[in-house]
Amino acid sequence: MKRKSSDRKNKQATFNKLSLFHGNRYKFKRRCPLSVKGAPIVDYKNINLLKKYMSENGKMLPSRITNVSQKKQRQLSLSIKRARNLALL
Amino acid sequence: MNYYEHTIIVRQDISPIQMNQIIDKYTKLIEKNDGKLIQTQKWGLLNLSYIIKKNRKGNYIHFKIEGSGELIRELEKNEKIDKNLLKYLSVKVQKHDLESNYFERKDKQIEKEKTK
Repeated sequence: MKRKSSDRKNKQATFNKLSLFHGNRYKFKRRCPLSVKGAPIVDYKNINLLKKYMSENGKMLPSRITNVSQKKQRQLSLSIKRARNLALL
Repeated sequence: MNYYEHTIIVRQDISPIQMNQIIDKYTKLIEKNDGKLIQTQKWGLLNLSYIIKKNRKGNYIHFKIEGSGELIRELEKNEKIDKNLLKYLSVKVQKHDLESNYFERKDKQIEKEKTK
């Protein structure tokens, strides 16, 4: 059992590394998808965008899963609540 | 003067003539209270995600308004009494974007399917 867990750890580490020569410190960090240039505007009318950041049950997804920045997450939560009030979501 | 976005949901079983009357009624109300109507959008009949006053569908009308807070208070006071409306929402915005209409695309798609 001990072996298996250690193997898994190694696998994850290699997956996150840029290449073999980099240490474990250099991991891939995904950027916020809504702060990039040309990103769509967060709005309560844009339902298709809001649906991407919600679970199937209609709950909001946490930002640690979606990698959305704090500022955009606040905008998202506000606009999702507005859309819910209008029975759009 | 502030910018506002105002959305109302009208009952589904209402005739197009009555719909126009409702829109006229509120545009007059806006003008009476020194407001300026910049744009109206009809989003059409949409499915409600939950039942409101025993309705499953609703007609959405969207106003883009320039006016004072008094105007919004007056509008909401009238809309509370109106039996043809299900819900309303008014949002204060910094700037109106007049180009994007997120609900127009669906209508075009339906029209295309009909022509096919």
